[in-house]
Amino acid sequence: MAVAGDAEAGALQPLRLMIRMLKAGAIILVALIGFLAAREQARADEDRSAILGSLCGPGLHAPMQGAGQIMAGLPTASSADLNWAEVVVQAFSLRTLRCAPAGTGYIATPAGMIDAVTLKPAPTAPDDLRSPFPNLRMRVLLDRLTAAIAVLNAPHPEARLAAVSTLAEHSDLIPPGLAEAALKRTQNASVAAALRGLIVLQRLQSPDVSQRVAAIQTLSQDTTSRTENQLESLRADPAYAADPQVAAALDQGIAHVRFWVRAGAVLSLLYNGISAGSVLFMSAIGLSIIFGLMGVINLAQGELLMIGAYVTYTVQQVIRIIAPAYLSLYPIAAIPVVFIVTALLGIVIEWTVIRHLYRRPLMTLLATWGISLLLINLVRVSFGTQNLEFITPPYLTGGVAVVGDFFITWNHLAAIFFAVAAFIGTLALLRLTSIGLFIRGVTQNRDMAGCIGISTRRIDMLAFGLGAGLAGLGGLALSPIYNVNPTMGTEFIIDSFMVVVLGGVGSLIGTAIAALGIGLVNVGIEPFYGAVAAKVIALLLIIVLIQWRPEGLIAARGRR
Amino acid sequence: MPLITRRSVLTGVAATLAAPAIIRPGWAADTVKIGCLFSSSGTMANLEGRLNYITKMAADEVNASGGLLGRQVEVVVTNPNSDWPTYAQMGRQLLQEQKVAALFGCWTSVSRKSVLPVVEENDGLLFYPLHFEGEENSKNVVYLNSPPASSVLPAVDYLMSGDGVSAKRFFMVGTDYVWPRTINKILKGYWTAKGFTSSSWHEEYVPFGFSNFQSIVNEIRTFTSQTGGQPIVVLTVVGSSIADFLRECINQGVKPTDIPVLGLDMVEADLEGLDTTSLVGNLNCWAYLQNAPGPRNQAFLANWAAYVKSSNAPYNPHVAIDPMVSTYDGVHIWAEAVKKAGSFDVPAVRSAFGGLQFPDPSGYTLSMTSENNYVARGVFIGSVNAQQGFDVLWQSPGTPKPVPYSPYG
Repeated sequence: MAVAGDAEAGALQPLRLMIRMLKAGAIILVALIGFLAAREQARADEDRSAILGSLCGPGLHAPMQGAGQIMAGLPTASSADLNWAEVVVQAFSLRTLRCAPAGTGYIATPAGMIDAVTLKPAPTAPDDLRSPFPNLRMRVLLDRLTAAIAVLNAPHPEARLAAVSTLAEHSDLIPPGLAEAALKRTQNASVAAALRGLIVLQRLQSPDVSQRVAAIQTLSQDTTSRTENQLESLRADPAYAADPQVAAALDQGIAHVRFWVRAGAVLSLLYNGISAGSVLFMSAIGLSIIFGLMGVINLAQGELLMIGAYVTYTVQQVIRIIAPAYLSLYPIAAIPVVFIVTALLGIVIEWTVIRHLYRRPLMTLLATWGISLLLINLVRVSFGTQNLEFITPPYLTGGVAVVGDFFITWNHLAAIFFAVAAFIGTLALLRLTSIGLFIRGVTQNRDMAGCIGISTRRIDMLAFGLGAGLAGLGGLALSPIYNVNPTMGTEFIIDSFMVVVLGGVGSLIGTAIAALGIGLVNVGIEPFYGAVAAKVIALLLIIVLIQWRPEGLIAARGRR
Repeated sequence: MPLITRRSVLTGVAATLAAPAIIRPGWAADTVKIGCLFSSSGTMANLEGRLNYITKMAADEVNASGGLLGRQVEVVVTNPNSDWPTYAQMGRQLLQEQKVAALFGCWTSVSRKSVLPVVEENDGLLFYPLHFEGEENSKNVVYLNSPPASSVLPAVDYLMSGDGVSAKRFFMVGTDYVWPRTINKILKGYWTAKGFTSSSWHEEYVPFGFSNFQSIVNEIRTFTSQTGGQPIVVLTVVGSSIADFLRECINQGVKPTDIPVLGLDMVEADLEGLDTTSLVGNLNCWAYLQNAPGPRNQAFLANWAAYVKSSNAPYNPHVAIDPMVSTYDGVHIWAEAVKKAGSFDVPAVRSAFGGLQFPDPSGYTLSMTSENNYVARGVFIGSVNAQQGFDVLWQSPGTPKPVPYSPYG
C-alpha cells in the first residue's frame, strides 16, 4: 500500500511541480499584465499631461499644437483616450477648462472641479486658475477635432454622419488612417458608406490615376460651389491634370457640378421668393378680409399681428411652467389660442370703435391709428421693448442642403406651409360656409343683405374678428423668422396694404397672387441690383400695374 | 339737452390729459434741464430707449452728489420715433422752448447729421454716444465714442493678423446710409493701402428695417466657398436687421469658423432672443463691453440693475451696452465741465473740455483735449459667447488719440 502510495506520489510529483509552476507563471503573468497596464496607464497619463500642458500653454501656438497632438493620435486612440479627448476638447470650446500656472489642468463641472488628466474629482484644485480663451483659429481646430472624435466615438449614427460631412469639407486636413479607423468602429451601413466616400476623397492627391479619377468622381457628387471651385483649381493645375483620363474626369465633374449649382441657384431664388411671398401673404391675409372685404382702413392691423406673436410667447411661457416636456410643441398649441385671443380683441375693437365709423372712412383711419399706438404702448409697458426670446423648436432650426447651394431652411418651409393652409382654410370658409356667404353678401351690398334678414351687425363683428384672428396667426407664423417686439407691426402695415391693393380689393386669391408676385420680384432682383434697388423696382412695377389695372390684379365682381 | 354730453366729457378728459403739457414749461429756478433725443418707438426703439433711462440714472447720480452750481439736473425726454427729420425738430424744440443746457442723443449718423444744423444754429451742445464714421468735427457736438481709426481699423487689423484669421477677402453688408457707406469707403481705402484689389471684396446694402436676409446669406455661403484666402463679413446693418441677419446665418448653417462676422454695430442687446451657441466666435468692437474687467464696471452694472428695478424700466437689468456707458460718461463729462467752467453757458462749458478726465466703467480713464470735442477711449474686441454676451478677446493697452478725419476716406 505504502509502496503503491509512494509510487503514486512519485507519479504525482511532476504534476504538482507543473501545477506549482503554472501557478507561479500565472501570478507572474498577471503581475506583468498589471505592470504593463499600469505602465500603459502611466504612459497615457503622461501623454495626456503633455497634451494638456500644450493646451494650457501661453500664446496662440502652444494650444494649437496641443490640438494637433490630439488630432494626430486619434486614429490609434483607445476608447478611453477618445472619451478623454472628447471631454477635454468640449471643455476647451465651452471655456470650462481651467489651467493652473504649473501647467496642470482642471475642468469645471456642475458637480465641482475634476482633474483634466484622470477626469476624477479634484477637490484640492488651486484657486488661481486661468480659463484659456479659444480664438477663431483655435475654434476652427476645435470644430474639426470635435467632428473627428464624433466620427470615431459618437453614440448615434446621425451624429457620425454629420461629422463625416463636416470632415469631408476639409478632407485634406484629416490625419491619415482616421477614416479607416472609424470604418472599423461602425456597424451602421450608411455611416460606413459615407466613410468609404471620405477615404476615396482623401486619395484626391494620390499619384495613382485610377484613384484620382475615383476621388474626383466622389467629390463631384457633392454638387456645391465649394466643389466647383475646388475642381476648377485642380483643373488649372497642369501638374495635377497631366493625365488625359484625370483631365477628362475633371471636365466631366466640373460640368456636372456646374449644372447643379446653376439649378440650385434658380431653385433657391424660387424658394426665397415663395417664402418671402408667404410671409407677405400671412401679414396681409387679415387685412384682405378687413380692408378688402369690409372696406375698413385698419391701421392697427400690424399691431394685431404683433399681439398674435405676443400671445404665442405667452403660450410658450405657460407651457414652460406647466408642461416643460412638451415645450417644443408650443407653436402648434398656440394656433387656436392665438386665433381666439386676437379674434376676440378684433371683435372688441369693432364693437367699441369701428362700428360707429363705418360710414366715415377718414375717421376710421385716425381711430385705428390711435388703437395701434395704444396697443404698442400697452405691450411696451407690460412686456418691455426688448426682442422676445422664443425657444426655436428643433424642427424649425437649421435646414437641409438640397442641390448646389440651394438650402431649405425649416422655418421658412413651415411659413410656406402655414400660409398655404391659412389660404385654403380661409378660402373654404368664405366660399363653402353660410357665414362666408353672409360675409360676402354683406360686403357686396349691405342694405340688400339686411333686407333679406341677415344680421349685418353680427356679420360685421364676425368678419372683423376673422380678419383680426388671421392677422394674429400671421404673427404666430412670423415669430420664428422675425424679431418680435412692440413695434414689429409697423414694419408690415405698408407692405400689407400694398399687397391687398395690388391683388385687388376684395379678392383673397388676388392677395395671394400679389404676395407671391411681390415676393418673387423682390427676391429675384436682389442678387443683381441689391436689396435697395429691388425695393425701388418692385414699387415702380406696382405703380405701373396699378396704373394699368386700377382695380388690382383680380377685380372683385359685383357692385360695391 | 343733458348736462353731461359725450362732447363735454371728451373735452374735459382731453383738457385734463393736456394739462401737464401746459404746466410743464413753467421754469423752476433751482433746476437745469438737459434733453434726450432717443427714440422709444420705431426700428431703433429697442436700443435707443435704454439711453433715456441711463441719462436719468447719471443725472440722479449728479443730483445725489449735490447737484450742479446749486441746481438740480432735470432730464427732458422726447421720442423722435426713429424718424430722422423728427430728431432735428425735437432738438430745436428742446433748445429753443425748453432751454436745455445740453442735448444727449442720436444713435444713427443720419439722425446726428439732421440735428447738426440745429445745434450749430442755436449754439447748443449735442453729446453723441455712438462710435461712428468720423469725417466730422463740429464745435457743437461732443463725440463721446470713437471714430474708425480707433475702433473699426484695430478690429479689422486683428482679423487680418495671424492672431486673428489672416483674413484676405471681405464681404461687406450694410444698411444703406451714411455710416456704413463711409465706413466701407474707409475700409476699402485701407485695404487698397495694404495691397488688396477690388476683387477681394464684395459690397451689399439693404434698406432700413430690412429683415429678409435669405438671399444675402446665400451669397455669403457662395462667397465663403470661393478661393483666394480666408473670408470675413463686415456687418454694418443697424437696428432690428442685426438679429434678423444673425438668425438667418444660424438657419443656413453659416459658421464663424468658416466666415467670422465682425458686427460693427452689434451689441449685447442684439443677441437677446437668439440661440448664440452657433454664433460663438463672431466679433464686435466697441469702447466698452459688458465683460470689461474692473470694479468700476461691477459697480456700474449693479447701479443699472438697481435703477431698472426702481424705475420699472422695460429693459433687461443684466444687459449693459457701450452706448449706455458712453451716454453715462457724457452726462458726467458735461457735469465736470460745468463745474470747471462755473457756468451752464455753452461757450464756457466748451472751453472747459480741454484736459478733462473721467474714469469710466470700461476701466479706462477718458480724456479730452482743447484741440477738438473728441473723447479718447479704449478699444475692446469682443467675441460672442454662448451666454448671449461678448467675451473680451483683445483690449488696447491705452486710449489711442482720436483722429477725426481718416487718411483712407
